[in-house]
Amino acid sequence: MAQAAGALAGMAIIPDVALAERASSLLRGGQVYKVGVIGVGRQGRTIVDTLQTLDGIEVAAVCDVIPARVPTGLDPLTNIEGFTDHRELLERRTDLDAVFVATPTHLHRQVAIDALDAGRHVYCEAPLASTLEDCQALVAAAAAAGPGRVFQVGFQGRSNPIYKQARTLVRSDSVRDVIGYYAQDNRKTTWRFPGPDPSLERAANWRLDPAVSIGLAGELGSHQFDVLSWLRGRIPSQIRGTGAIRLHHDGRELPDTVQLELTWPDGLALQYHATLASSFGGRYEVVRGSTASIRLAWSNGWLFKETDAATQGWEVYAARQQFQDGEGIVLNADATKLEDQQRLMEGEGLPYASLHYSIVDFLLSFVLGEPNACPADEAMRSTLLGMLGDQAVRTGETVDVPAL
Amino acid sequence: MQEGLLRFATVAMGTRFELVLAGPDGQERMRPVGEAAIEEIQLWHRRLNRFAPDSLISRINRTASLRPVPLDARTFELIAAALAVHGKSGGVFDITVSPLMATFGLPGSGSARGGTERPNGDASDWCSGADAVLLDAQDRSIRFLRPDIALDLGGIAKGHAIDCAAALLREHGVSSAFLHGGTSSVLGMGSAPGLAGWRVAIGGDGDCGGGGDVPVMELRDNALAVARVAGRRLEGPDGEECGHVMDPRTGEPVRTRLLAAVVAPSARLADAWATALLVLGERPAAMPEDWTAVVLPDKRGTAAAEMVPEHGTRNGSHGSA
Repeated sequence: MAQAAGALAGMAIIPDVALAERASSLLRGGQVYKVGVIGVGRQGRTIVDTLQTLDGIEVAAVCDVIPARVPTGLDPLTNIEGFTDHRELLERRTDLDAVFVATPTHLHRQVAIDALDAGRHVYCEAPLASTLEDCQALVAAAAAAGPGRVFQVGFQGRSNPIYKQARTLVRSDSVRDVIGYYAQDNRKTTWRFPGPDPSLERAANWRLDPAVSIGLAGELGSHQFDVLSWLRGRIPSQIRGTGAIRLHHDGRELPDTVQLELTWPDGLALQYHATLASSFGGRYEVVRGSTASIRLAWSNGWLFKETDAATQGWEVYAARQQFQDGEGIVLNADATKLEDQQRLMEGEGLPYASLHYSIVDFLLSFVLGEPNACPADEAMRSTLLGMLGDQAVRTGETVDVPAL
Repeated sequence: MQEGLLRFATVAMGTRFELVLAGPDGQERMRPVGEAAIEEIQLWHRRLNRFAPDSLISRINRTASLRPVPLDARTFELIAAALAVHGKSGGVFDITVSPLMATFGLPGSGSARGGTERPNGDASDWCSGADAVLLDAQDRSIRFLRPDIALDLGGIAKGHAIDCAAALLREHGVSSAFLHGGTSSVLGMGSAPGLAGWRVAIGGDGDCGGGGDVPVMELRDNALAVARVAGRRLEGPDGEECGHVMDPRTGEPVRTRLLAAVVAPSARLADAWATALLVLGERPAAMPEDWTAVVLPDKRGTAAAEMVPEHGTRNGSHGSA
């Protein structure tokens, strides 16, 4: 593994989207990295699907407590070995370079720490964990594993090429004097999943279980809090909010609609809205500035300029899309290979899902030594915002965010 | 027994899919099951989407002429089923026509290796790629024997997604449901409350069941598909308007003002055979006798097929084979 990393260190650093494309055909020369996925519910299966699109990466093992989700033993057609106990996977498959943890949030701690102890690189799904104590244990375990080990958390926004471009704009003069932030995640869904059989119904619906779930703010909000904190470079210090059940009166306790306000010490505020009762507007974040504003919608992003703002070089070649609230300049992730990035340039959006870029960043980290896109301590802070947001909704009290 | 109606909808494969759970299955507690069925449709959309570079079908089209591409069991079986219909229909249903479509200027249908086919409407050197698609059951993989092949499962994908959604519903104990994709691929599971099946009117003017000569099919654990030359309008080489359905035998677009409907045991079989029926203009010899096949003038209504309201039609006639 170390030899291959050395050989690949000669790869030039090229613009993000192009790098991702190249990573897709990583290591055509022959080296194959084997990985395992622990937890193959919906997210785990999506991770497996994404990994299977990448050359040079082989999903060799999967694990889930629900036996129907994994092969019994080794599947000769896919070469994937199934496990129902993650410790057995880690003990038996010492040939795995890395492990993806996609179990329910409240179970991340044990699995991820076991994987680190077993000497693997770990990609842990976000939010990091469901209690502060669990987050701190994971941060400590990641640090103890040493600088050569990668522990990346799945806050995907940081790997998203459009979001990276937005960060550059926010930190430059393009979006000067930010006056506020907004984010929403609007969906119309029960968030309930039919269990394979009634006895597994509760386990399958951990997101709605008040005993373990960190609610909409924790499970959904944390991703967007991470994006905006990362853009700003600072964590909010206070959170307040409310929530209620607006649509899904099916006996659940968790609110299906929440609204939060997260504020920084200098008074800047992030207004947040999440619901399972309406899909209007979908999922996006906004940075409002005096010279320009940015809207980020995961596969797309736009810059909206004030009339009196100066023009930057890159804008001249960018596409524009008309919205009710103004003309958006399409964020094209500094795409330089025009032919390949036609979709992006025409405003059709990124060619790959955010998860793809996040996973590629992880692979490049342990293969090439690229910087960690989302280290544990940063993930802990964003996860904490989500947990405290959920607490604010439940208690109706304003919550102070401890400095960590 | 409390009766309810749960409706679900999603946009996938360039069209709108709807699912209705009715009767005892239409109770609120079944909502997660309906959502899971919708998610299943989205899964197939992602897998078979030619316009997404990271979809399974895009990867197959990029790679299969270079080396075998391993497939999951269901995709393997879907492609095998599509090739089987190709064989039985005398080549009239063909999932390798997309390079041909490029010569008529349809977007996103370039050849597998990304060549830029300039639309010139000249299909004289067209040759079906179906015989050059090899499925290997030993390692469950697919490969192409020629580099210029691209698969387009558009003629069977909606039906397949509907079949998979229906299978999921059945797994969760649902016995009555109605699903359709773009009104042209329709499946009736069990029956509408109080009726013997799910009643569907074909090819009307949008006035559900109002036209006297609009056939009404009754679906019960079977499926209807309606194929028509509509939607994307192209100009043929002689300036004549033609649609997007290709006749794989000649390499020419099908120029017809007909609408072809098939009732078959599964939505994907109905889908594939409806296309074959449209191209042939008459009942294919190899179509099983107990299936319904209807060819009608296309009135260019907005819906290919519509569910007839539960309280019954005003004028209805049953279509006959």
